[in-house]
Amino acid sequence: MHINKEKLQFVFDAKAKTFAYTLMGIGLVSIIAMFIVDGQHHAEHYHLNRAWANVFSGAFFFTALSLGAAFFLGMQYAAEAGWATTIKRVIEATSLYLPYGLSILFLLFILGQLHIHHIYHWMAEGIADPSSPNYDPVIAGKIGYFGWFWWLRTILYIVLWTWFTLQLRKNSLEADKYELGGDNHAYHWKNVKLGAWFMVVFAVTSSTSAWDWIMSIDTHWYSTLFGWYTFSGLWISAISFMTLLIIWLRKNGYLEFVTESTIHDMGKWMFAISFLWTYMYFSQFMLIWYADIPEEVTYFQIRWESYKSLMWFVLFINFAFPMVLLMSRDSKRNFNFLAFVGTIVFIGHYLDVIMMVMPGTVGKHWTGISWMEVGTFLFYLGLFIFVVLKNLEKAPLLVRNHPFLEESLHLHT
Amino acid sequence: MLKKNKIHVIFGDEEPLMNAVLELRKAGIRIKDAFTPFPVHGLDAAMGIPRTRIAIASFLFGITGTSLATLMMWYMMIYDWPNDIGGKPNWAYYYNMPAFIPITFESTVFCAAHLMVLTYLLSSWLLPGVPPKNPDPRTTDDKFMLYLELTDEQSKLAEDIAKKNGAEEVNYKGEIYIEPKY
Amino acid sequence: MHPESEIRTPLILGNKTYKQITDDIIAPIEGKTSKWWYFLFTVSLLTALWGIASFTYTIGEGIGTWGSNNSVDWAWDITNFVWWIGIGHAGTLISAVLLLFRQKWRMAISRAAEAMTIFAVINAGLYVSLHTGRPWVDYWLFPLPNQFGSLWPNFNSPLLWDVFAVTTYMTVSIVFWYMGLIPDFATIRDRMVHKGWKKFYSILSFGWGGRAKHWQRLEEVSLVLAGLSTPLVFSVHSIVSFDFATSILPGWHTTIFPPYFVSGAVFSGFAMVLTLMLVVRKAYKLEEYLTIKHIEYMNILIIVTGSIVGVAYLTELFMAWYSGVEFEQYAFLNRATGPMAWSYWAMMTCNVISPQLFWIKKIRTSILATFILSIVVNIGMWFERFVIIVPTLCRTFLPSSWATYTPSFVDIGMFIGTIGFFGVLFLLFSRYFPVIAIAETKTILKTSGENFKKLAASHKQHQVEQH
Repeated sequence: MHINKEKLQFVFDAKAKTFAYTLMGIGLVSIIAMFIVDGQHHAEHYHLNRAWANVFSGAFFFTALSLGAAFFLGMQYAAEAGWATTIKRVIEATSLYLPYGLSILFLLFILGQLHIHHIYHWMAEGIADPSSPNYDPVIAGKIGYFGWFWWLRTILYIVLWTWFTLQLRKNSLEADKYELGGDNHAYHWKNVKLGAWFMVVFAVTSSTSAWDWIMSIDTHWYSTLFGWYTFSGLWISAISFMTLLIIWLRKNGYLEFVTESTIHDMGKWMFAISFLWTYMYFSQFMLIWYADIPEEVTYFQIRWESYKSLMWFVLFINFAFPMVLLMSRDSKRNFNFLAFVGTIVFIGHYLDVIMMVMPGTVGKHWTGISWMEVGTFLFYLGLFIFVVLKNLEKAPLLVRNHPFLEESLHLHT
Repeated sequence: MLKKNKIHVIFGDEEPLMNAVLELRKAGIRIKDAFTPFPVHGLDAAMGIPRTRIAIASFLFGITGTSLATLMMWYMMIYDWPNDIGGKPNWAYYYNMPAFIPITFESTVFCAAHLMVLTYLLSSWLLPGVPPKNPDPRTTDDKFMLYLELTDEQSKLAEDIAKKNGAEEVNYKGEIYIEPKY
Repeated sequence: MHPESEIRTPLILGNKTYKQITDDIIAPIEGKTSKWWYFLFTVSLLTALWGIASFTYTIGEGIGTWGSNNSVDWAWDITNFVWWIGIGHAGTLISAVLLLFRQKWRMAISRAAEAMTIFAVINAGLYVSLHTGRPWVDYWLFPLPNQFGSLWPNFNSPLLWDVFAVTTYMTVSIVFWYMGLIPDFATIRDRMVHKGWKKFYSILSFGWGGRAKHWQRLEEVSLVLAGLSTPLVFSVHSIVSFDFATSILPGWHTTIFPPYFVSGAVFSGFAMVLTLMLVVRKAYKLEEYLTIKHIEYMNILIIVTGSIVGVAYLTELFMAWYSGVEFEQYAFLNRATGPMAWSYWAMMTCNVISPQLFWIKKIRTSILATFILSIVVNIGMWFERFVIIVPTLCRTFLPSSWATYTPSFVDIGMFIGTIGFFGVLFLLFSRYFPVIAIAETKTILKTSGENFKKLAASHKQHQVEQH
């Protein structure tokens, strides 16, 4: 197979840079404006809630997305998958936003602990103290899970995830140093092992982190499925973003060696994981709706009352869109079409994060999606694109010396 | 009256078969049929067989299943005899919908799968008691056979191409006479 | 055809040709029935007869003959129903999900796993039809026009969803299985010398001839069936879990149930496939088709699904505490420390701890260890369903309705009987049907056969030397 050597190196050109800077610029201005405008909103227990919730949603969504990419990468190794070898650098670059995203999140957590924002109800002072006016008996019953223990876990996630992601990347780059077509696969086997261990770590931490960072916003509420629901969401976000990136790179003359079948496979993943997400959504929603237990149903009650249209919209574009549009083989092989659906799903899952965060923070004060959400999203999107493309530039777009490289280069299904 | 020879070309492997098919088609020879012990990747395209549309049929059957289930549950639970069971809201289909999704899904799959399989069996005429469709019993084991109906002139050419590509046998199995079309 | 990566282990060992594959897989059908087959068949038949006796007794006397009581109104019947239907999930998973994931190793086990699925679902169906108490009016479950004042079945009830789900699953599984069998029956038909058997396989083969158009259609049909079966597998066990989770009972009502049940089902199904295939492989000398690598892959999937189940157990346990709901907390305290704690700890040991042994390569590539652990897993998964049902019902909200439970001899007879019935069906299958998909296996010979892989490697070596 002929490979154009000049296009093996991605160049983060001025045009792309300007695009990322513009997004960040617009976003930054909107965020500042948002803080000013939201500061005018006065209500009980409301102090810049929407502004902070937005900042948090964006930080979480993109971090989760890159975590999804890291998971996808680790899974490819552990499962001996060959089809995605030609797009491995794209997956790696996407996962490398993780340390940045986690830092932003960490900063936000510290601000919460300093009571600058009130995203986490349980961070409030005296919440477990019966003599305090803030006392909440339900939260007091589970306060042992929060506090220092919560911080310990948070730090553990950050350290573990970052370590695995960087290590997977390091081995991948090391493997490149061998001669093309060489038979030394030591670094590959290292990554297989690492990938398997990452799966173990991820299996536990993906659920617990979702409880810690998202579910604890609605501190009273609980749902055993919540971790897996969040996981399916971050997975599909990662898939849709990577698909978009691959198609964009191909449009710019890169990644010629990626066969149509590989992109078709990404389309299949998008279809399948959208289904998985819907399955999780339905399982959680239907069971809570059906049993109608007061402790649980409050979660959907607030969503039903104050976020009804958004709730339906999120379900519609994240389920019906990919299901109907990506069912046929031809639609998954039409890359413009695939990019269109990918964009919809990508935005849809950002809105899903909004749906997870807002009702527990902004609550009844919600007025619908506005420029604030859009602006914050654009800021993080710009930052994310910048970091991802910067990392894409740091290594050749095609891996060398990967045992499954030939399989992937000749993938035709 | 046009005389055509019925020819069985036997191969011992799928690769020579594929090469022969490609070359025969290039020479303008129509391949009437091929019999293989397993699906040979790309053979249908090489022979010029159009893609099957059975998946589209299945999709339509599936939609039928969805509609039938919806109609059934709406009629029975909402329209004909609404029952308040466990406080489930049965005054409108919309409110009761979460409880209807499982059966709607099952019915979709049921119709899509069974009606598609039925379509497949009938359109291929595969039914209990139907006599074997392969003229040479070895083609369900390890032989690959092309079936050709050719004029004498074409037969010679086809035989050469087949032999060149490693055909093990080229058997003439009688003749048929075709009324020329005017 | 492009060869696969050298680092992939060959899936068909030895020096095989297409002819050899046909010969090897059909050999047990053409050969004489062995003594051990007759022995096993007799044993299975006798236990099945015991089961039939218990079933008959239940139908005649009513379900009062079971150990169930007013508080524990679901016990062994539903435990066994869920156990069997769980086992019945591996077949479709292997043939559908692994097909979509293009896992070539599925071909050695898919046929037997699908057969096992169907037999297991039949057993599950026996339980659901009997536990209604009056199985002769089971047609009331279906939405048929009737004389009872247009009283329709209750579509809000997960038990009715089950009727639809199990019916769809069983029939679609049978069809999926049979579509793959048709070409293989044709292969047997064309080899049979005995007239009667030739006729038998001729009828079964539906006149298949391997025409190019038919292969094209069959491949598309299989792909679509796989695409339909994948969500179907998920839905069936999810709906089984809804039977519990839609209630308000602590320990039953929890949102993680659907995916957790699915994972558990796959887990137990794989274990059962391993138990059976390790025997079949030895008895029919199919070691070259069902290699140690196959066993290893299966064991890895057992680790994955077992770990998912483990995470779900811990999630439930944690959430019970985290919820702050007293009843929720007690339900789990009762499971772990109550009068039936032994069942809880049996479940934990068999399902969470024992599969982790497969992390050790020596164990997951050992046939004996795999065989033992696969049985352990099946025991564990039986206990899981028991733990969910019985200890929970023994101690519900009202202490005044607390009760205990012991199975009656009828319960035990039915359970043993279904195992015997399963054995009868599987033995008949393995005697008269090809246990490995013949046509499908031939498609991977060139890429994954040991001799062809060696050839490709030497070819590559040759090219390197020339440079």
